[in-house]
Amino acid sequence: MEHPVILSALFGVPEEYKHVFYTWLAMAVLFAVGFLLRGRMKLVPTGLQNFMEVLIGGLEDFTVATVGEEKGRKIFPLLCGIFLFILAQNLLGLLPFCDAPTANVNTNAAMALFVFIYYNYVGLRSWGPKYIKHFMGPMPVLAPLMLPIEVVSHCARPLSLTLRLFGNIRGEEIVLLLFFSMAPLASTLPSYFLFLLAKCLQAFIFYMLTMIYLQGAMEHAH
Amino acid sequence: MRLSGIFSGVDRHFLDDLSRAGVVGLHMVSGIIAGTAIGYGLDVWLDSFPWCSGIFMFLGIVSGFRNVYVDAKKLTANRQKDETERK
Repeated sequence: MEHPVILSALFGVPEEYKHVFYTWLAMAVLFAVGFLLRGRMKLVPTGLQNFMEVLIGGLEDFTVATVGEEKGRKIFPLLCGIFLFILAQNLLGLLPFCDAPTANVNTNAAMALFVFIYYNYVGLRSWGPKYIKHFMGPMPVLAPLMLPIEVVSHCARPLSLTLRLFGNIRGEEIVLLLFFSMAPLASTLPSYFLFLLAKCLQAFIFYMLTMIYLQGAMEHAH
Repeated sequence: MRLSGIFSGVDRHFLDDLSRAGVVGLHMVSGIIAGTAIGYGLDVWLDSFPWCSGIFMFLGIVSGFRNVYVDAKKLTANRQKDETERK
């Protein structure tokens, strides 16, 4: 089922690359907000600056409270970027003429693979060769058995990150389209509230899981 | 005006639990899928069809259970922390 009227088609973007177009659109929105706010920062925030300060400040406090002062501040820029980026992408799906880029499995796979590579890099950097202890399990005797199991379960992480986000957002898009074709406005408007919550929650879960993985890579093995 | 508005009303452990509980089911399945995919890839590479697939599928099932076990342990730890904080 195709989107009836869509912004990417107006720009001449082919159907199969529209998620790339909307990813760039989400980035453009975030950059615009950033540049808009950077120019006129106020000591007493109002409006948009207030909203962004509450959001980012709240996330920072939450990250620091969970991961710890030093490590939390170090990984926070990445986590906040992921949260805002996914939130913007998810919310694009609720705008008329737009589509959520996270409803395409490729966008999510790219982000999940990045998280996978990054947390392993952080682990290697903080532990060096001792990082392998994270894969050995609690007992040295069981290490040969635990090593492949841990490797498989680490490989499952990007998969579950990708599929969860993709399934949720894609499902919501399909439901919205179906509702809209049956009874425009009357049926889509109430579901907007539910989906607004669900999309924020999905962005938050992605952020939270990234934080859990990074924390696991940085702290002592078992 | 920091945390107060959005997160502090909600318990920190509750948000942690929420995101963990939300993926417990998927963790079990994705372990099996990842294991099977690795095994099948090895089979295609080494031309040894049923062997690697079978072994890695078994490892995937075990790692799926292990993921759920780790999640459950963390949920229990959070609950115990909540209870001690309340006392």
